[in-house]
Amino acid sequence: MIVQALREIQERCGYLPHKEMKALSTRTGVPMHRVHEVASFYPMYRLEPPKGASIRICRDMACHIHGAPEITKGLENLSNELGPNKLEVCGISCLGQCDATVAVLINDHHVYRGMDLNSLSALARKAAANEDLPHQHCDNSPLPFKINPYQNSEPYDAVRQFVAGGMDCNALFKKLEVAVLRGMGGAGFPTFRKWSAVKGAVGKTKYIICNADESEPGTFKDREILRRSPNLVIEGMVLAALVTGAEQGYLYIRHEYPDEVKVIKEALITAAGLGIIGKNVLGTGQKFMLELYISPGGYVQGEESALLEAIEDRRGEPRNKPPFPVFEGLFGKPTVINNVETLAWAAGIALNGGEWYRDMGIRGATGMRIVSISGDVQKPGVYEVPFGQTVKELIFDTAGGLLQGHKLKAIATSGPSGGFLPALVPIDKLPPKFVQDKIPAGTKLFDILDLQLDLNTVSQMGGMLGAAFIVYDDRRDMVDNALNCVSFYRNESCGKCVPCRTGSQKLVDIITGLMAGKSNRTELSLINDLGETMGITSICGLGQVASNPITSVIKFFPTDVENYLKQS
Amino acid sequence: MNVADEIVPLVLDGRVVKLERSAVELLKAPPVKLTIDGKEVEIQGATLFKNPITGELKPKLTTILDAAQKAGVFIPVLCHREHMEPVAVCRFCAVDIGARTLVAACHRPVEDGMKVTTGATNEKVKKSVKILTELLLVDNEIPRIVNREYGDNELRTIAKNLGMDPHASRFPKSQVDRGTDDSSMIISVDHNACILCDRCVRACNEIRHNEVLGRMNKGFNARISFDLNDPMGQSSCVSCGECMASCPTGALTNKKLVDSNLKDQPGAMPVTIEDLFTHEIFQGISKPFMEWNQGAVVRRKFKQGEIICNEGQAGSTAFIIEDGTLEIFLKSPLKHIENKKSTGFLGLISKFTSSLSSNSRKDEKTARYISIDAPVSLDINNPIAELNKQDVIFGEMTCMNNYPRSATVRAKTDVTLLEIRMNVLYILQRNKKSKSILDNVYNLRSISTHLLSIPLFSDQFTDPKEFSKFVDLVRKNAKLVRLNPGDVIFRQGDREDNFYLVRVGFVKIFLSQPGGDHVLNYTGPGGIVGEIALMSHLAEMEGKAFAAGRTASATALDHVDLVSIHGEDFKLILESFPKIREKMVAIAIERLANIQSQTKKVQHTNLNDFLKQGLMEARSLLVLDLQKCTRCDECTKACADTHQGVTRLVREGLRFENYLVASSCRSCLDPYCMVGCPVDAIHRGKKREMTIENWCIGCGKCAQNCPYGNINMQPFETNEKIDDVLNPGFKVAVVQQKATMCDLCESIDGQPSCVYACPHDAAHRMTGPELIKKVESYLA
Repeated sequence: MIVQALREIQERCGYLPHKEMKALSTRTGVPMHRVHEVASFYPMYRLEPPKGASIRICRDMACHIHGAPEITKGLENLSNELGPNKLEVCGISCLGQCDATVAVLINDHHVYRGMDLNSLSALARKAAANEDLPHQHCDNSPLPFKINPYQNSEPYDAVRQFVAGGMDCNALFKKLEVAVLRGMGGAGFPTFRKWSAVKGAVGKTKYIICNADESEPGTFKDREILRRSPNLVIEGMVLAALVTGAEQGYLYIRHEYPDEVKVIKEALITAAGLGIIGKNVLGTGQKFMLELYISPGGYVQGEESALLEAIEDRRGEPRNKPPFPVFEGLFGKPTVINNVETLAWAAGIALNGGEWYRDMGIRGATGMRIVSISGDVQKPGVYEVPFGQTVKELIFDTAGGLLQGHKLKAIATSGPSGGFLPALVPIDKLPPKFVQDKIPAGTKLFDILDLQLDLNTVSQMGGMLGAAFIVYDDRRDMVDNALNCVSFYRNESCGKCVPCRTGSQKLVDIITGLMAGKSNRTELSLINDLGETMGITSICGLGQVASNPITSVIKFFPTDVENYLKQS
Repeated sequence: MNVADEIVPLVLDGRVVKLERSAVELLKAPPVKLTIDGKEVEIQGATLFKNPITGELKPKLTTILDAAQKAGVFIPVLCHREHMEPVAVCRFCAVDIGARTLVAACHRPVEDGMKVTTGATNEKVKKSVKILTELLLVDNEIPRIVNREYGDNELRTIAKNLGMDPHASRFPKSQVDRGTDDSSMIISVDHNACILCDRCVRACNEIRHNEVLGRMNKGFNARISFDLNDPMGQSSCVSCGECMASCPTGALTNKKLVDSNLKDQPGAMPVTIEDLFTHEIFQGISKPFMEWNQGAVVRRKFKQGEIICNEGQAGSTAFIIEDGTLEIFLKSPLKHIENKKSTGFLGLISKFTSSLSSNSRKDEKTARYISIDAPVSLDINNPIAELNKQDVIFGEMTCMNNYPRSATVRAKTDVTLLEIRMNVLYILQRNKKSKSILDNVYNLRSISTHLLSIPLFSDQFTDPKEFSKFVDLVRKNAKLVRLNPGDVIFRQGDREDNFYLVRVGFVKIFLSQPGGDHVLNYTGPGGIVGEIALMSHLAEMEGKAFAAGRTASATALDHVDLVSIHGEDFKLILESFPKIREKMVAIAIERLANIQSQTKKVQHTNLNDFLKQGLMEARSLLVLDLQKCTRCDECTKACADTHQGVTRLVREGLRFENYLVASSCRSCLDPYCMVGCPVDAIHRGKKREMTIENWCIGCGKCAQNCPYGNINMQPFETNEKIDDVLNPGFKVAVVQQKATMCDLCESIDGQPSCVYACPHDAAHRMTGPELIKKVESYLA
């Protein structure tokens, strides 16, 4: 209520005046410090009046290498030219538009992608003059992928069949188990286990949450599912609700997805009209109220327990676990939290069976998935690919290959969180078990193009497999990109635990010092020590992976690092 | 009902407690076995935990830390306290249980068969904890101001225990100054020393349920904040001291008051903390705070008849009554200073032997009760009252604002008192528990005499029954509000909400105008504030008010206690008591006219030098035209004649060209002399002249306050005689003093006598702006 009430105040006043927050506290009985804790935490809120129109330029990964710093500079010059209180220019964390760099957000509501400085300047002038801003077209046609089983049929058949079949939960669990459907949000927890744990949990009140807070740099695949086939997500949530007995669901979406928000609102109305959600789901007598929850912002909200904190009107700080959300989730009640894609696949699996999904994998891997590819490739975008595909197939077949005249330098296989892998990895830097099992004897350098992209292989190699692939060619300075990624974590750290709060800032300070030619090898070993500590002592994944970009660069790109050391 | 939420009784240590079923099951479960650094421990999986302050009982899962303590294994802990919910944010208690990451021992519940290793045996753990320590050490400033107290710096202690240099770190130091907050009277905040362990936040909210402290911002910019990031001193902080007692690094420290040690004074007896905590009024305060402030409370015993304090005396303490009965009274006779007419030779002498007169004066207040610094007001016809244990406290105004004592207090029986300093009183007034005790004293005991001391109310009632009905109505709806110096009560133009009675301290009423604030009045104890805006709905006021909302601004000049009455209740009072309504309307109309005329005048003036001299403020200067003046001194004599032989006028002062501004009361726009009168005995009359009431106790505060030296302290002999030290065997009269000042007396033609008496048309009374015109036209 506080989160939404503050949003309402900001819409009305343009920011959050002290007086309004005090009145809100009096009205709701929520102590002032709790109101302010929330208001000062989320990036969506302004505690000061805006200084003119606001234009925020994405700072991260693909946008960073494709000219975000130059565009920011250009717009700052424009702001100076326009004079004070006309145009506020600042950076923003990844807007999920990495396939069309550079992305900007104007006046908190308008997202633009793929524009050059000239066209952005024209937009900025319009905004500064309080003129209406144009809407940039996006494709809302249904996804032409296998994940959408309703290419030629009416949606919501999966739920209808499940209800018609007498709501056989065990059969559905079996299908999900056979499919080997694992969470697509990163953790890879088997979906049927999550659902059955919540089904079996004590108590009547349970919740289903769809985590649509896609905010990791380089990740924008849920965006396409949400906007083009929102019915799949709703259907997955309804299935989860019917099997667990949850009566309330939240679809938690980031506020920088205005086009997606609009589509989902419409889809919820349609679903309610069809009786798919509401007080009596398809005549089963079971209630499932599904609410769209627009996030007040912040990457860390994607961490499931931080997301729960946000819905509970607190600072979105991750909880200490255990207890896990399946036992004590939203408001302390058992809660299913699934990623957008996981829920969408669950609908297809319910309809087509576990084998249908499982057998789509190749080279011994199981299943299919949606990935986002960005950076220095011909055709960045969202693709549906089988597990087991190699990096080579991904870059060259799927994404059209590298840009003319350039060679592969690095690839990030999980946004910034997994760090960077070089084109050729010396085998002495790989785990011995992996070398023994996967690399032909006598090979000195492992070609990353041969890496098979499935969860087991990548983790055996000591890497991480996410849904975000960012490709860097031979023009890129990896120390600069490591600083870019570590700065992202510093900017997005919630500040709750010491290792992440102070560690991410110190990493930024040390790398900045390194790039200024002030460091020697002692600082490098300090980075590694700090990275290890952050990795094993931080409360949540954010702090645990925050050092990966720089430690991977120290490990795999010694020449880039030496360049800076030499100057000292 | 949900099975999990079902409440069932459980007998524990001979007591019946009611808990959720799931909690009961936990408490009854058999103990678990685990090893920590190879040592085997057997421990109950859950215990019942009692909040040390509220006494609330809650089941608590046994953590690895609990088990380690039982096994005698040391694990460093920084953000955790035994009596708080674990938040596990510092990660210093990281231990290895064989999982992917380390876990926080303070938070992770024990499990059967767990194998735990700590920094003592596990290098990875040890290295991590050292890195965390370095991360905090590098930016943890030691509080920079020396005169502050706090416990050990736990961060540095841990560093030492880990064999580290507590002043060294390999990490780069942050360049950001996180700032300090010194706005609270007793607690100082240094954000640079804060490590965000969350202990203060939990102390404030979970332990004390005060709900003031929180964290603001995120990431490296996060810091603690009060309410809506308000300065601590202006927040709703009740100064319980629990946050400060919880802080491990001195980011929240106890501000030591200079000279707060009462223990060294004669007759003072020390009081132990345990002894203090037997008094209900002290029970809500944190123990460490009282320990840090031990010198600020002492016990004093007085034999029957002994004087505790004298009216007019300086002081800085308040007294809590532990035992016995006190008499509180005014020694000064309730009369005006009067001298015999100066006639001939004897007349010269009589000039110096002033006496007192009971003649009443024009514009004198018709108070029936005199408001004093105690839970009682004094009857003007018999200014003496009794105080005992039920009155709890007296002397608050002297203690908070250093005003002179307002009355004399004498022991009627043998008495025991606790004498307290400002820092302790400040806390008592803000702490929930003690505040409710103090407020109750007001509400139950002193409200009726307070209302009686306000002539506006008391004069309207002849029937005591009616009056008690009125008191009941106010009592039901009144709320006590405490303000710090500078706090805003309302601003010009604000929507009206409450009506206020001033109980302690002074409120500044002013208009905000180009060129600065224009003070309309200082309203002291017994005054009313905020009535005009709440009366605009009345038919009598139609067309009188000139703007919506508040007509002027009001701020607290010093530590102010207000009785706040909600606007709707105030309206109800006006409806129920027509006489009060009539009087209120008259006051409001007069005040509005005054505001209007002043606004006009101020807008027309502009001379800088005048402002500097304070003359622009002046409403009635005695100006002597030096071209005409023959220095015959008739004006001074006339003044003495009019005022019973004591002149209030000196023919000296500032010169502007040919004009001399004689030293006499200027009836300033900003009558600062009014501020701080402990018995509210100095007022402004209809002509803006200052009047000193007959209950002046002669403390001299107004004379000190007058920036122009125009208030004189006039000595007089009282009936009391004491032994003359110079002439043994003889007695001399005790001399007391009272204040005198120009009262713009009227003579035959309606002018002050000094002007009337001038035979050369050289003496004139004029306002500051009028004098400017004179000077300007002279120059032209």
